[in-house]
Amino acid sequence: MSENEDNFEMLRRLLTLKRHEIPPPGYFNRFSGEVISRIRAGEADAPAGMSEGLAAQAPWLLKFLQLFEARPAFAVAFASALCLLLVFGIVFAERPDSAPQPLLQAMAQNDGGAPQLAAVSPTALPETTVQTGIIASTNPVLGLQPVASLFGQQNPLVMPVSFLSSGN
Amino acid sequence: MAETAERKDSESPAPTEEMELVRRARRGDLEAYDDLVKRYQERIFATIYHMTSNHEDANDLAQESFIKAFQALKSFKGGSSFYTWLYRIAVNKTINFLKQRKNRMHMSLNDLDFNAEHDPDLMALISDKTPRRDAGLTELQEKLNAALMKLSEPHRLVVVLHDVQGQSHEEIAKVMDCNIGTVRSRLFYARQQLQGYLADYLK
Repeated sequence: MSENEDNFEMLRRLLTLKRHEIPPPGYFNRFSGEVISRIRAGEADAPAGMSEGLAAQAPWLLKFLQLFEARPAFAVAFASALCLLLVFGIVFAERPDSAPQPLLQAMAQNDGGAPQLAAVSPTALPETTVQTGIIASTNPVLGLQPVASLFGQQNPLVMPVSFLSSGN
Repeated sequence: MAETAERKDSESPAPTEEMELVRRARRGDLEAYDDLVKRYQERIFATIYHMTSNHEDANDLAQESFIKAFQALKSFKGGSSFYTWLYRIAVNKTINFLKQRKNRMHMSLNDLDFNAEHDPDLMALISDKTPRRDAGLTELQEKLNAALMKLSEPHRLVVVLHDVQGQSHEEIAKVMDCNIGTVRSRLFYARQQLQGYLADYLK
């Protein structure tokens, strides 16, 4: 190492010039006063406070964000990946899980002829299905059981009900 | 600044006295913190100034470093000295600033003190019959700062802390959070680079 020191002796002499660079006279007399007055004035700006909180709570996240600042290309790549993920998410969300089967066909395929769920609205049900009291529903309890009418009617009808008392 | 640069760690205030100041500052005692600022302001400012070669930036960064240190005092566990901890804050702040400022760098240099003209080493550098003969101290100062700014931040930091501020390898390793071997290799590489940049002035 001492040989290296000798090799750089001239450079080290030149670097001593840096020690002679001094701020204006009186600079350090004011410095601490300025720091203290800034602290008193609560000059901790919000972003700095946030970054300190972040550094304490999740240092990995702060490093991750600093990576964005250091390498903007990384930020662009990350944003592109997020957009791509979003597009794929939308495309897959709009695609149905499986094609809906007609209810009768589904029943025929079933061994015991037990009713199955199907994405069919009640109005689209064939008449025979409605007459047997089978209700297609997304509710597995209601949908799989033949409904026995409580009011002596085979086909329960939905009637509008008014809660207004006639006396008023 | 020259005097402070040559201060050794052994000349630092007694740890107990310093820890008492830190304890008081942690409780919000601004007078105690004012004492701490006064103890280290010159060294912190000098390090940042030599890293940025810009007086105004160094002033802002040094003040912000002390403010940040005050706000973060509660997280200071005392695992290292307050001085090393403060240095780390200042150095990290400066390096982050330099990364952001990379493409819009400009120098704003402090004046040379009167003693520079009487430094025999420097006089030898500018008065020898070499190509640098015509160069005055101010030109030499500009060339030196420009060469330093060409180094990467870690390499510049090692040169500043060791060759300008006179810190030991061990102390630099603590500040930079790396091992001594890394400090030595960075110092060697940085000096090689500088020697190349300043070849005309070192013949």
